[in-house]
Amino acid sequence: MGKTFNPKITAFLCKWCSYTGADLAGTSRLQYPTAIIPIKVMCSSRVDPVFLIRAFLKGADGVLIGGCHPGDCHYESGNYHTRRRFAILQSIFDSLNLEKDRLRLSWISASEGPKFARVCNEFTDKIQKMGPNPTRKNMFI
Amino acid sequence: MSKMLTTDHGADKSVVDLLRFLLDTEKVSGVLTLRKTNTSGSLDYGLLTRSQELDRAVPLMPVMPANAAQSLSLITPTQKPIAVVVKPCELRGFVERIKREQGSLDNVLTLSPTCGGVIPLDTYIKKSKDNLTKDYYKQVKAGEIPESIRPTCKACEYFVPMTADITVSVVGEQNLDSKCRFILNSDKAVSMTEGFGSVENGDLDAKILDDHLKKREKEKKALFESIKFKQDGLDGMIDVFGKCIGCHGCSRVCPICYCLLCDFESRNFDQNVSLFEKELEQKGALRLPPDTLFFHLGRMSHMSFSCVGCGQCTDVCPADIPVASVFKKIGENTAALFDYVPGKDVNEDIPVLVFKEEEFKELGE
Amino acid sequence: MAKKSKSVLVVGAGIAGIQASLDLAEMGLDVHLVEESPTIGGRMPQLDKTFPTNDCSMCILSPKMSECARHPGITLHTLSSVTSITGDPGNLKCRVLKRAKYVDPVKCVACGLCEEKCPVKVDDAFDMALRKRKAISRYFLQSIPAEYTIDKEHCLYLTKGVCKLCEKTCPAGAIKFDDKDQEVELKVGAVIMATGIDAFNPIGFGHFGYHLYKNVVTSLEFERMLSASGPFGGHVVKASDQKEPKKLAFIQCVGSRDESINKNYCSSACCMFAIKQSIIAKEHIKALEPTVFYMDIRAFGKDFDKYYDKAQNQYGVKFIRSKISEIREKEDGTLKLKYSLENGEIRYEQFDMVVLSIGLEPRKNLEALAGQLDINLNEFGFCRSEAFKPVQTSRPGIYVCGGMNGPKDIPESVVAASGAVAGTLKSLKIERQALAASDGESGEINVIGERPRIGTFVCHCGINIAGVVDVKKVAAEAGELPNVEHAENVMYACSSDCLETIKQRIEEHHLNRIVVAACTPRTHEPLFRETIKEAGLNPYLFEMANIRDQCSWAHMDEPELATSKAGDLVKMAVAKARNLSPLERLPIGINPKALVIGGGLAGMIAALSIAEAGHEVVLVEKDKELGGHVRKLYYHLSGKDPQALLSETIQKVKKHKAIELLVNHEIQQINGYVGNFTTTIHSPKTDKETTVEHGAVIVATGAKEHRPSEYGYGQSTRIVTQTEFEKMIHDQSFPKGRLRNVVMIQCVGSREPDKMVCSRVCCSDAMKNGLELKKVNPRADIFVCYRDIRTYGFKEKYYTELRDKGAMFLRFEPDGKPKVEVQTIDDPNSKLTVTAFDPIMEKEVVIAADLVVLSAGIDALEENSTLAKMLKVPLNADGMFLEAHVKLRPVDFATDGIFVCGLAHGPKDMDETMAQAQAAASRALSFLTKESILAEGTIAEINADLCSGCGYCEEVCAYTAIEVNPETQVAEVNDALCKGCGTCVASCRCGALDLRGFSNKQLFSVFNELELIKED
Repeated sequence: MGKTFNPKITAFLCKWCSYTGADLAGTSRLQYPTAIIPIKVMCSSRVDPVFLIRAFLKGADGVLIGGCHPGDCHYESGNYHTRRRFAILQSIFDSLNLEKDRLRLSWISASEGPKFARVCNEFTDKIQKMGPNPTRKNMFI
Repeated sequence: MSKMLTTDHGADKSVVDLLRFLLDTEKVSGVLTLRKTNTSGSLDYGLLTRSQELDRAVPLMPVMPANAAQSLSLITPTQKPIAVVVKPCELRGFVERIKREQGSLDNVLTLSPTCGGVIPLDTYIKKSKDNLTKDYYKQVKAGEIPESIRPTCKACEYFVPMTADITVSVVGEQNLDSKCRFILNSDKAVSMTEGFGSVENGDLDAKILDDHLKKREKEKKALFESIKFKQDGLDGMIDVFGKCIGCHGCSRVCPICYCLLCDFESRNFDQNVSLFEKELEQKGALRLPPDTLFFHLGRMSHMSFSCVGCGQCTDVCPADIPVASVFKKIGENTAALFDYVPGKDVNEDIPVLVFKEEEFKELGE
Repeated sequence: MAKKSKSVLVVGAGIAGIQASLDLAEMGLDVHLVEESPTIGGRMPQLDKTFPTNDCSMCILSPKMSECARHPGITLHTLSSVTSITGDPGNLKCRVLKRAKYVDPVKCVACGLCEEKCPVKVDDAFDMALRKRKAISRYFLQSIPAEYTIDKEHCLYLTKGVCKLCEKTCPAGAIKFDDKDQEVELKVGAVIMATGIDAFNPIGFGHFGYHLYKNVVTSLEFERMLSASGPFGGHVVKASDQKEPKKLAFIQCVGSRDESINKNYCSSACCMFAIKQSIIAKEHIKALEPTVFYMDIRAFGKDFDKYYDKAQNQYGVKFIRSKISEIREKEDGTLKLKYSLENGEIRYEQFDMVVLSIGLEPRKNLEALAGQLDINLNEFGFCRSEAFKPVQTSRPGIYVCGGMNGPKDIPESVVAASGAVAGTLKSLKIERQALAASDGESGEINVIGERPRIGTFVCHCGINIAGVVDVKKVAAEAGELPNVEHAENVMYACSSDCLETIKQRIEEHHLNRIVVAACTPRTHEPLFRETIKEAGLNPYLFEMANIRDQCSWAHMDEPELATSKAGDLVKMAVAKARNLSPLERLPIGINPKALVIGGGLAGMIAALSIAEAGHEVVLVEKDKELGGHVRKLYYHLSGKDPQALLSETIQKVKKHKAIELLVNHEIQQINGYVGNFTTTIHSPKTDKETTVEHGAVIVATGAKEHRPSEYGYGQSTRIVTQTEFEKMIHDQSFPKGRLRNVVMIQCVGSREPDKMVCSRVCCSDAMKNGLELKKVNPRADIFVCYRDIRTYGFKEKYYTELRDKGAMFLRFEPDGKPKVEVQTIDDPNSKLTVTAFDPIMEKEVVIAADLVVLSAGIDALEENSTLAKMLKVPLNADGMFLEAHVKLRPVDFATDGIFVCGLAHGPKDMDETMAQAQAAASRALSFLTKESILAEGTIAEINADLCSGCGYCEEVCAYTAIEVNPETQVAEVNDALCKGCGTCVASCRCGALDLRGFSNKQLFSVFNELELIKED
């Protein structure tokens, strides 16, 4: 079709760290692709793995969870739970040979505007190379 | 060295005798055991309180009409002591349920065999029962893996019960028809069986079990290879789960799925018409009812690390999907992340409820 | 009775000032917070990470900063300073100079265009001059208030009358060149000073070559280098060649512990700071080889030694005990360090980069300020606080906290801040606060059952958004979305006329949901929520699309894609808005009474502070007597008498009418939650039970002296602990008449592999008792066997003093502990020898000791675990109570309404205990002074029909806010405790839990909107 592929990446960002880091990336005028579509949540641990599965099956080319660094969670230990849940989901994708690289977990603190921009750039790059999520076109979901 | 109690009768009769003894001496007020429903040969689990009911009991029958873990949740916690005869995977399933507040082992005396495996219901119902069990026991006594059992049973490494009070030695027992050995694993087992027979030191035969384990491990490897999807990834998933009719029978019979109403049957993930329309606009086609893969992937994320591999789901699948084999494979991998063995210990934390600060350092970059 | 006021002045808006202001404002007082710089935050924003948890400094601070800026009880005066204070406590008049900002803060939208255009470059003080800013600038990118100010010293127009480029550029017309300094007078009841601390300037000091050698930097500069938001984006490079350093040296005590420059005090934080930096740097550069050159490693705080251990054993940081005598720079910028080891051996070693761990010193202007305000300074130029009065200045009515009266780390500053608040309360009028009328839900438009009618406002933000995003198109598209009744473009959504417009539109179009597409909800959501509330809508019927910070600013070169993304973001916000429901914040009644557990110094001070603020307190002590550990203390380094303090305090407690004293009682059961606790107290003597209802709990149960099993303790009456020795000195009764040789052994039961904890006070106690012994027996020879002498802060001078008086200090390593031998066990006259290795002479020394004094550490009480279970609060690995956050919530527990102070929290001295007790009282009062508090609106809710009672939610909740009811087997959410994180919701297998405001349905609707966007 010759059209460029514009990936869509859902980014669940925790309100306290990653969302703030994303704001800082903007305030610092750091540039990253428009593919990243942020969704604010209170804590990365609000993100049920089922959300990721849902987003993946509905055609999101990538799904990012951004949370506070381990130990920094505004809610004491939420991100540790996020990490375990993510590890489980990744293992499932791995075992099934599903494209686990479409899922990404990143710890981005409130002062890591540059890291947020870097993660967005890297992740979009990777997704760009992987191409559109096959679930976009497959009627069987 | 554990305590051991030996009888001079066949295993099935000895277990029934022990249950009768427990009821008659009022050490327990009821027993849960497999029994013949009627003369035509169908089976069910029965909670029996009168010893004459035991006439029809077949506690060691290698069939699983339901995973007893679910039933145990219904009848525990109990004030009155009961004895239950269940397969090792049923006991593990129940331990997983206890961790989820779905029952208790207090006042429950657990008996479980070293398990030769379970014959699929379908086979059991359709084939001649006498021949089936005859062949089955021939192989079990020889320490072989019976041909007729469920694929996941063949591949099961946990055929020795993990937390039973009393282990009934079955696998590799040459004299299974004339002798029965009970291993008493707990103080409770010793005190409850007091008066039933003489107790000496003794244990299961490690060599026999080890040899058998090696066979199972080999089977497991073969099984996991056999369920490698024809194509990888999404297409592979569709190959396997494309047949799914969405009955959710697999989750209904699952010992781990304790939810009153499965999340995936609730209204939580409902879509409205306009969303379907949008999706249609993009894809030009829509599978109905939707969310087949969503259900299976979602269920894996919910419970795979606790899967005890009992095989009940495959047994009930009307579309012949090897659900148990897939889940067992996925589950082994997810549980391995935490060195978790489902059903091993009631005090072991469910992986998703705890964490270690120093773990998965590679995640989050 | 002295006059009381409702107003209070806080000077300095660093973490201490912010904490004090928040505590005061939460008690319903009017706070004026005066800050010299253009932003609040103080030093913390400059820090990359904090020890010992490596928490991101800004992450933990920024919520507090916004809370402080938003609090209706706090008036900020930035770029301001206090010039005089007159009057008496309760009735003080303060003159405050508010300097001109030359930018109208109301109009400024912090877009930064002015700074881009400004031609004048100035060293950026925030980044330690490692980069430039402009003459018009924002102090740092996350500063609060988020406004630009003009530096009048450097502005071309203000100095030379030319330029005005900023004025031409500013799209909001915010530049105000005719702005003037103003002086205002504030009438307040009390003042809290928190002007903070400066860092030592090492220019020309100690031959370290700072500013001469390119690769020598200060620890503060290094911190900015490490920071992701710093001048180099967290990429540490040498100035000489822009390459990563491989060998990195830290030099400790630069500008501390140095009598030659009148700094015979320890800056307390630099050891940990260097350890932290070495760890973080090592994480940045894997091949880095950090070395720390030090005199003593003073890792004396809670869990600090574990951190030190981690640096050595996990990160491979090298620690060398030595003084650097010289640094030479080689041509390639490499630095050659000359240093001598303990045994006198001279060594040379080359490093790529040297970090000077600069000490902390009084603020430059403190002397002048102290003169103006008539407060005394101490010998080192810090604000003077007497012993046992840790938060007071010499002038009644003026209190002090933070680094102003001595070097402190962050938690100590926070403790001092809350402690100072407790001090001010007797001059302030505290009333029980009813919920503000505006907090009620009365008059709210009922939207339930109505279909959504959404109003969408798309902001231009001048050209900040409109310069990149086609905002007209976005608004037009929004207007076409289902349920959107109205969509329009606005120039500045946050301007007051636009807020009026929003209210008007709500009325005109009967809108019941509002979406604003503008900047970030983090800063502006509260404003818009307030606005729609004024228009009669429930404030939760609002959603924001962040099309500036996370769109136009981040995609400046892709206007088309940015427009399409903005469209997506608006669609998603509309989708969420469609599913929003009004949320209620339920009031939770607060019982004004407090329960204090433990009648030692901490418990008594806490109880008194609360009682003096007019609240009833029940004070429970398990012993027959009040006083706790202080009963065993007879001396204090300051020369003051602990026993006098104790009896005075006990008298006050016994006399105070508001304190109900229950000695010889123990806690049996505690139920309930913030504001509503019920506690059963049992008296073993009468076997009677009392039930108390109260609103807050303070845990002050203390700790105990370690009972040594080592060094022959128990084998001779001449082997004693430090407290036993103290009593001997006091009673003048030594087991062997006149003493000649006294050997002290430090770290007994501390800093051991299984208890990697420094007991903090033992080094100072050794100095104290050593000096006291010298007073009664000047001829006694004192030997101190130690690992590191940790006389932090102003205690350093007593270490110097004891050394000057001839005490011998013998350092030992954990594998070369001194050996104590008793020739005949239990014989009081037996020969007693101590064999120790002297690392200076490099040989063994055998001392015939008359007395061996073991500096036994502080152990947690075993019974802590029982109480912790009752309160459902955590203990750390050493059995001490674990606070909610080691930096910013040092006396709180994660569970609201429960606080901790004193030794129960960890080892500390009497002044620290008193400050912490006052802090715990303040924190408790911030709840107790309210008739009720509002629960969060964003909280978990349970669908009981679906709940299987599995208890997953209970396990993962950090706040004990959800529990399975054993009767019904259904989980129940405690609205008062739920913080709305949603951890439990995502753990719920049955789909029975949901999070209000972030429900499954809402979140699904948001990303369903996105995924299905048509691609080609």
